[in-house]
Amino acid sequence: MTVSTLSIVEQPCFQFKASFIPCAVLQLLHYDLDAIHDQISATIRCAPNLFKGSFVIIDLEKLNPADILNYAKLKHIVATNGMVPIAIRAGSAEQQQAAVMDGLSLLPAAKLNITELDKQKNVQQTRQTKLVTHPVRSGMQIYAKDGDLIVTAAVSPGAELFSDGCIHVYGALRGRALAGVQGNMQARIFCRSLEAELVSISGYYLTKEDMQTFTAKDGMVQIFLENEKVRIEAI
Amino acid sequence: MTKTIVVTSGKGGVGKTTTSASFAVGLACRGFKTVVIDFDIGLRNLDLIMGCERRVVYDFVNVIRNEANLNQALIRDKHVKDLFILPASQTRDKDALTLEGVEKILNELSKTFDYIVCDSPAGIERGAQLAMYFADSAIVVTNPEVSSVRDSDRILGLLSSKTKRAEEGREPISEHLLLTRYSAKRVARGDMLSLSDVNEILAIPLLGIIPESQAVLRASNGGEPVIMDEMSDAGQAYADAVARFFR
Ligand SMILES: Nc1ncnc2c1ncn2[C@@H]1O[C@H](COP(=O)(O)OP(=O)(O)O)[C@@H](O)[C@H]1O
Ligand SMILES: [Mg+2]
Repeated sequence: MTVSTLSIVEQPCFQFKASFIPCAVLQLLHYDLDAIHDQISATIRCAPNLFKGSFVIIDLEKLNPADILNYAKLKHIVATNGMVPIAIRAGSAEQQQAAVMDGLSLLPAAKLNITELDKQKNVQQTRQTKLVTHPVRSGMQIYAKDGDLIVTAAVSPGAELFSDGCIHVYGALRGRALAGVQGNMQARIFCRSLEAELVSISGYYLTKEDMQTFTAKDGMVQIFLENEKVRIEAI
Repeated sequence: MTKTIVVTSGKGGVGKTTTSASFAVGLACRGFKTVVIDFDIGLRNLDLIMGCERRVVYDFVNVIRNEANLNQALIRDKHVKDLFILPASQTRDKDALTLEGVEKILNELSKTFDYIVCDSPAGIERGAQLAMYFADSAIVVTNPEVSSVRDSDRILGLLSSKTKRAEEGREPISEHLLLTRYSAKRVARGDMLSLSDVNEILAIPLLGIIPESQAVLRASNGGEPVIMDEMSDAGQAYADAVARFFR
């Protein structure tokens, strides 16, 4: 939340705060500036508020390593559509070097090589569950790190839930729910009354418009990823 | 035990000051020694609504800065026994209110008053947070429209996280919804949200519904809180809301 706490001690000049700021990943599939421009503009027109002001990471993983990118133009396209380009990730050494020269940061690649040992570690970590029994109001963000999130009350429009694991909501889900935010594609969202502004599994998302065919009356649903597509299913 | 009530909303112009004034009168009429504080630094509306603007000499900020003591700044209400007003400052310095200063004044008021009503400024920033920080109860003033409901929802989030009771893990602030400027005609036409629309999102107990009423403007022009206009629809609705507060 952006609201500052009222500090009793006025002395220190700053406070370090751990924070989890959602950001969008622009995964480039092929490099064609005009096409990128058109597609971003069209996306923003469909959902003007969804990405407004949000940070953008440009992901080069699926791009041809030989492509030479014009970052200045790319940044301009992103910025003129109301978003803030901050970093790239993946890409060839040359692509990365050029990005840094153009003032973008470099983030580690998204896909980790998960070994058996890591998998076991993950399983252990995901055992922690965060339980929220009070309503999650507009402007509130809740993050269940390393585990699942269970909310037994309503989630208001403008509220945001994040979880490294699954998300269960037993009140009405009217805000946003993002499960598997660290890349867990097995994560699911379960809710009793789906009225959400956005749902996302491991970065793949559906907006309210995409979910129009589903209404709260459909009752209990689960939301999961299948072939890199978000699916909603009654249960 | 003194009870501190914050009248809050997030959005401006929804009726917080109107409500603070009428509620304070309603409490005092029931025999409780009551003080109503204007937290809206720079705007100073409450004294106009209470009809005591000509008697303001010292204000809230003067007391915080030790330029006056509380008794010099408190204004005795001319309508009701046992009611006092602590006016806001005209200063443009929004940081004039400090957490320590507010705490000091509330502690001192707690020695003599039964109820302290805090009229919050609009917004969700510092001023609004200071007004709610020490509260025991909150009256969340909401108009039946989407933006007001959204702001009230945010305020409810702050009440449950950024207040003294929340930080100390004590029993939460008791929350009351007051739906104001309600026009049944406009609800029927679909221009306004209905009570059940509002309830669905906010889901807190309803204290009352105050209709959109000419009497409110009349009352503020005359410097008499609308609850004193016993024949008016809004005046009666405020009296009902005060009664429900004790149920
Ligand atoms: N129930 C009502 N009917 C008609 N006008 C109202 C009503 N409540 C408030 N108003 C008017 O709305 C305006 C804002 O009210 P005010 O109490 O100052 O709101 P706030 O303190 O929330 O900014 C004032 O002009 C007031 O007269
Ligand atoms: Mg006001």
